[in-house]
Amino acid sequence: MSRTDEQSYLDLATQCVEKAVRLGAEWCDVAAGTGRDIAVTIEKSGIKTADAGQGEDVAIRCYVGGGMGYATVSGRDRRDIDQAVRRAVALAKEATPDPDFRCLPSPQPRPEVDGLFDDAIAGLAVEQVVAIAVANIEAGKALEPDVNLSGHVGLSVGAAALASSTGIALASRATDVSADVSALLKRDGDTGYFYDFDFGRHLADCRLERVAETAVEGARRFLGARRIESRRMTLVLGPLASYGFLSQLVAAANAESIQRGRSYLCDKLGKPIASAHLTVVDDGLVPRGIRSGAHDGEGTRRRPLTVIQEGRLASLLHNSYTAGKAGVESTGHGTHACSISPTNLRPALGRKTAAEILRDVQDGIYLESGEIRPDPASGDISASIDFGFLVRDGHIVHPVENAMLGGSIFDLLERLDAVSSDARTEPGILMPTLRIQDVQIAGAE
Amino acid sequence: MEDLARHLCDLAKRRGAEFADVRIARRSGESVLVQDGRADKLAASTDRGVGVRVLVGRCWGFASADSLQRRRGERCVADALALATASQAFVSDPAMIARPASVEAEDRSDPQVPPGAMPVAEKIARLLEYERCGRAAADAGSQIVNSVVSYAEAWREGVLANTAGTLVRTAGSRAVATCLFVATDGKILQRGTEHRGIVGGAELLRQTEPEAFGRRAAKKALAALKAKPAPAGRFTVLFHPSITGLLVHEALGHNAEADAVWAGQSILEGRLGDDLAAPGVSIYDDSTLPGRFGSFAYDSEGTPASRRPIIENGRLVGFLHSLETAAKFDAPPTGSARAQSYDCRPIVRMSNTFMASGHVPLEEMLRGVDRGVYLEDGHWGYVFVQKGQFICHAGQARMIENGALGEPLRDVSISSMTLDVLGNIDAVGDDFEMRMPGMCGKEGQSAPTDCGGPHVRVAGVVVGGQHGA
Repeated sequence: MSRTDEQSYLDLATQCVEKAVRLGAEWCDVAAGTGRDIAVTIEKSGIKTADAGQGEDVAIRCYVGGGMGYATVSGRDRRDIDQAVRRAVALAKEATPDPDFRCLPSPQPRPEVDGLFDDAIAGLAVEQVVAIAVANIEAGKALEPDVNLSGHVGLSVGAAALASSTGIALASRATDVSADVSALLKRDGDTGYFYDFDFGRHLADCRLERVAETAVEGARRFLGARRIESRRMTLVLGPLASYGFLSQLVAAANAESIQRGRSYLCDKLGKPIASAHLTVVDDGLVPRGIRSGAHDGEGTRRRPLTVIQEGRLASLLHNSYTAGKAGVESTGHGTHACSISPTNLRPALGRKTAAEILRDVQDGIYLESGEIRPDPASGDISASIDFGFLVRDGHIVHPVENAMLGGSIFDLLERLDAVSSDARTEPGILMPTLRIQDVQIAGAE
Repeated sequence: MEDLARHLCDLAKRRGAEFADVRIARRSGESVLVQDGRADKLAASTDRGVGVRVLVGRCWGFASADSLQRRRGERCVADALALATASQAFVSDPAMIARPASVEAEDRSDPQVPPGAMPVAEKIARLLEYERCGRAAADAGSQIVNSVVSYAEAWREGVLANTAGTLVRTAGSRAVATCLFVATDGKILQRGTEHRGIVGGAELLRQTEPEAFGRRAAKKALAALKAKPAPAGRFTVLFHPSITGLLVHEALGHNAEADAVWAGQSILEGRLGDDLAAPGVSIYDDSTLPGRFGSFAYDSEGTPASRRPIIENGRLVGFLHSLETAAKFDAPPTGSARAQSYDCRPIVRMSNTFMASGHVPLEEMLRGVDRGVYLEDGHWGYVFVQKGQFICHAGQARMIENGALGEPLRDVSISSMTLDVLGNIDAVGDDFEMRMPGMCGKEGQSAPTDCGGPHVRVAGVVVGGQHGA
């Protein structure tokens, strides 16, 4: 992707905006871009397939009387694009007028965010992507010759532009590269299974060839799973589990869900929702961050936002619509398709290391990875302990099989009594260990 | 499209592919979202492109482009060949393909209401009616605080060609409608949802009655306000037909996909012919059921749709196959290879998956339970096929006490192990329902599926409740 590509898509987006306004759109913004990707699939500890794709997209968003019409089209066929512009305007005219719509964002000075594009990734040949996959296979098999490895190694390279009727004209390029590997070990009817991953916007930030090693080490640890009895226990969320848990929580601070009255965080702004141990910052400006960018999908500049401050819900995530409705500034979390999305999460770290946090647990579960998904309305949780261990007297005893956890999100947050001082780091993201006391665990024993 | 598909197949063959197939598609869609009394978001999309898959030596290569230009298609052929060639030295499990019969066919399912034939204003009016009907369900002491009602239709026409001479022309559409109501009693919030999906078009809106759709979804939300948190632990669980399909889909269906079995990832590896469940348990995947959301006449490799037994009378009798897994298992292809679109490789997928009815009346199933949990309204689930551990989330639940349905429960998920749950089915009901249209995700692709079954009773299932049993 060259700078020429960026300018070309910016010109295209600007022309679409002008056409939409001529057709009657009162407000309009257009996102246009291109991307190419390569993905190599690992199966049965060998290469299964190599895939490549290339595409161009244009998305047109128009407002008439606050009613919104949206149209997307793939490819660069001018007739198709003109048709999509006409369709977006026509749909906006058919939508119900919305007095809560104020305006689309105006041009703003935007911060510089370094490191979103890497020539080394853009220049990777398929043979080099295959070589990364092969290196993983060899490293995994060196640890366990009979391991069954599966996964992917892939990259994407893109250029994107955004133009609006308010004068926004932005263009950018981005790259990312990733590897994910699952390891499956079978021993006399027993199964050990785990995974690991790595990703980044710069090749130099990643250790893509090492992913299989940690996946195999994880699979070894999950051999010998046993069932446990139901009881209340301490729950320790390892870095992967804590990231999933906090991502769900921050995503629930979506201002639209709260304005619509459908979120368990309704009426909580400014109030305590968690113990004072928890502070979470959303920062879309971290250099080389995987979810970083100078602006959001609507052209609003990003800024670091403290979402939870010592247990208090300090801020909501806004796009231009919800911000206008609330009479506040957009926080820069809008997507072009009108939704709201968090960026890089950076919880404040605590005083004890993860090892010290675990050492204090008498009877608990260490959740290495698992999906703790509260009901978006009630905040109730009924989740599977997908990858967890029994902890007794500060030590991991064995993996657990077929267990669940339940409770209210607020109960869990209130009983959160430790955030680790150390954390797994991925580009832009911090993943500490969390500890929650007195959680209901359901076991199969 | 046909000429381009044939040309690209010939080109791939001339350049050394042992097998190649080409998928070309044009798609268009329209969606309407009504929220809190307003048509909030009206959207349209168009998309077209070509995908080329080649088998070179021992490895697959695949390339796609969002263009129907001959030049871009030829570039895809070159890229796919280069990708396969670059990878084939590192293959541990050489690719194979069953020799496909050459098929020339047309799979056309025109909706009763063609795309664009129903004005957007009429769609909006219908969704507003669903919403009005749902909001009217609120009673004293509760209120609906948010309603989201949506409709989407997608039209697709395409061509599949392969180097064995197959040419299948496809054209058809799917339509889905969803209602979400959020209710409150001033203390808590609860949600209720309803979904409908058909192979067809906007006739879905004419067929779907507001009482049975909007009002039903709202009543679920309102009823949940009176429900209590569930107990935690092991229980006998009685699955209503509205969640039996989800159980079958997650617990067994994904494990029976032959690509997972061949790759050594499924717990059903090496179990073909084993008795895994009681004799009364039979489970099928059937893509031939007329109008069902998961139905099709030909899969994405051109294999005709079929009814595929997975478990018959408790015995594991078959897997779901693509051309590749059929060759590896020396089994007939079952027409289970599905690609989300032109830019995706076909992978093994379910279609409409269900447990067949048994003979036990609901009253008799309930009588046998001293203390258990009754689940309804399957919402979501997932499975780790490597361990056979799965989870299903129910939108509604009730306690069973002394053989009778008791107090309502809220926000309940259950988890179990595939082989345990199959082995612990101790009663299969004499009823049947298949009404869970949805999109199933696998390897980044989503496929329209449906699932269903009768009431089923299973012993020893873990319930993820909030307090001790």
